[in-house]
Amino acid sequence: MLAVQLLINGILLGGTYVLIAQSLNLIFGVMRVVNLAHGSFIVMAGLFTFWFSARTGLNPLIVLPIVFIVSFIVGGLLQPVLIEPLMNQGRKAELLSLMVTFGLDYVLVQIALHVWGADYVSLPYLQSTWTLGGITLSKALVVVGLFAVAIVALLYFGLNYTSFGKSLLAASQSPVGAACCGINVRRVRLFAFALGVALASSAGTLLIMILPMAAESADNLTILAFVIVALGGLGEYAGVTIAALLLGVAQSLAGYFFGGDVANVLPFVILIAVMLLWPQGLRRAA
Amino acid sequence: MTTTHLLHRLAWASGMAMLLSFMAAPGQAADKPILIGATSSETGPFAADAEYNLNGMKLAIEEANAKGGWLGRKLDLKVYDDESKPGTAVRLYTRLITEDKADLLIGPYSSGITQAIAPLMNKQQYAVIEPEASIPTIYVPGNKWNFQGVASSLTYLEGLLPLAKKNGASTVAVLGLKSAFTLACYDARIAQAEKLGMKVVYKTTYSLPEPDFASMALAIKSAQPDVVLGCTYYPDAVGLVKAFKAQGFAPKYFAETVGPVAAAFTKALGPLANGIISNTGWWHNFKTPGSKEFAEHYKAMFKQDPDYHSAAGYGAVKVLGAAVEGTKSLDQDKIRAWLHANTVDTVQGPFKVDANGLSQGFSQSLVQIQDGHLKLVTPEDMAEAKLLVPYTGQ
Repeated sequence: MLAVQLLINGILLGGTYVLIAQSLNLIFGVMRVVNLAHGSFIVMAGLFTFWFSARTGLNPLIVLPIVFIVSFIVGGLLQPVLIEPLMNQGRKAELLSLMVTFGLDYVLVQIALHVWGADYVSLPYLQSTWTLGGITLSKALVVVGLFAVAIVALLYFGLNYTSFGKSLLAASQSPVGAACCGINVRRVRLFAFALGVALASSAGTLLIMILPMAAESADNLTILAFVIVALGGLGEYAGVTIAALLLGVAQSLAGYFFGGDVANVLPFVILIAVMLLWPQGLRRAA
Repeated sequence: MTTTHLLHRLAWASGMAMLLSFMAAPGQAADKPILIGATSSETGPFAADAEYNLNGMKLAIEEANAKGGWLGRKLDLKVYDDESKPGTAVRLYTRLITEDKADLLIGPYSSGITQAIAPLMNKQQYAVIEPEASIPTIYVPGNKWNFQGVASSLTYLEGLLPLAKKNGASTVAVLGLKSAFTLACYDARIAQAEKLGMKVVYKTTYSLPEPDFASMALAIKSAQPDVVLGCTYYPDAVGLVKAFKAQGFAPKYFAETVGPVAAAFTKALGPLANGIISNTGWWHNFKTPGSKEFAEHYKAMFKQDPDYHSAAGYGAVKVLGAAVEGTKSLDQDKIRAWLHANTVDTVQGPFKVDANGLSQGFSQSLVQIQDGHLKLVTPEDMAEAKLLVPYTGQ
């Protein structure tokens, strides 16, 4: 029974990691933009949800569609101004995107500090549990896990079975080739960035129910997302999902048997090992 | 007018100007405010508690200025944000000393940051009261210029284990965040449990940010301790309570050091916060001199109740003021000698230090969250409510 509980804890933790990492992966996969402001979008949405729910008494799950739409628009407004001009810079675009999103991250963190202060906050919502045959399930973690499953499923089917999804994949694999086939690559990049920001922000709205968050936790979330994406392989949606789940289970086991210190350091140890053995990520290794 | 006359007049005028400037100099210095420098963790993981501490300092300075300041000079507080980072604090205290030319300094929030600035204080020879540095290892013979302005970390949650043992508890789990203060508390509580003959069935340390509390909570659930002691700061204090609930485990006694006293704790946890035990170095019904006025003035100024961090910041400024008035100077050597030789009554209790600057007068009492409000549960003669056990996690 203990083994099952540990496995479930790990999978649920992995579910939160899927949420944290998959949107970063989408933006990189389509545009080759390393979005260092990723954690800031998560944190801003989390803090906004806390603030909004505390004032209106609204369930954070009702706030979720508001956050998704608003952040999609914000992402759609930022992309043409900050990211699109870099796309003509050829090989320098990735490096320039690092600098631009680093600046954006700094601005967003300062805005969050100014608006909501520096305190860690968390929402007391869905704190109760279900018990099934001796296994305890946190309602909040289950809800987050279900959203993670929904996002992965939507990304998978959206990218592989819709014409717009195929356009996204085509634009990520060969922007010139996609343009020659009549795909509006600029529009595809705009949509991908806006969707990435909206997904990251949705993750923030859900995670505030689980993790205490402050404006300055943004960078930690960005680092965690990078570790997971690097493990799974940049631009590999299935690989990143597998990496997030494996990491969750590994941390759950390590935390139980060896304590918090080992669980903390484990993602980085695994990352070093994977980078040495399979530099292309776990998915390519499989 | 001849050139000679003109030169004589110029010489006379410049001589008078110099004389006037010499006469004016002491008067200007006397009117210039005394600059008190400090850093505070306005951002980063310590921000929630550090704000209370800084507010306490601001109130004490406001009160002093309302009475004309110290030595007839107003007080000016210069505060920089150390971002909860020791390295940043060292840089900012250097700036306060070398660029801002602060007359006096007060220590930062947290033991870890104070430990980082202690060598600088020794080098620059500033007598500094440390309102938030509870670990005893700062107050050693090598660190001659640091004075503990808060109860020692060894006393945090010290009262709980004997009380729990008396009520039949025999097993303990101890968790400690990897920071100077929390690790000192972690070691002290494990040693105390063993000394009391209680079995430590689980112990672990962890680091921020966002560790996986679920697996630790599950491991503790497997060990089934009667008492869980968390040597925590605010973010992990909240995370641990949520993780225990998620794993379906509620120990009889669930105590955490820093975190539960902050108003944000109950907001973040709702009913889960009820029953959590913590500690405080000051409480509004303490019969210490000025305690009632401190609580009233604080609430009027900041529209919230103070906590023990506020009392520590407030007390640090008061003690420094007593030293300045006692020595009638801003001379750091004289202030240091005065602080060693004298006892000052503060809202937290008597400020009194040993030869190394370690506090001999402050202690910690236990509080518990009951129906969403903190209640003092020890010492018995001042307790507002009885300790409610078991913790239900609901």
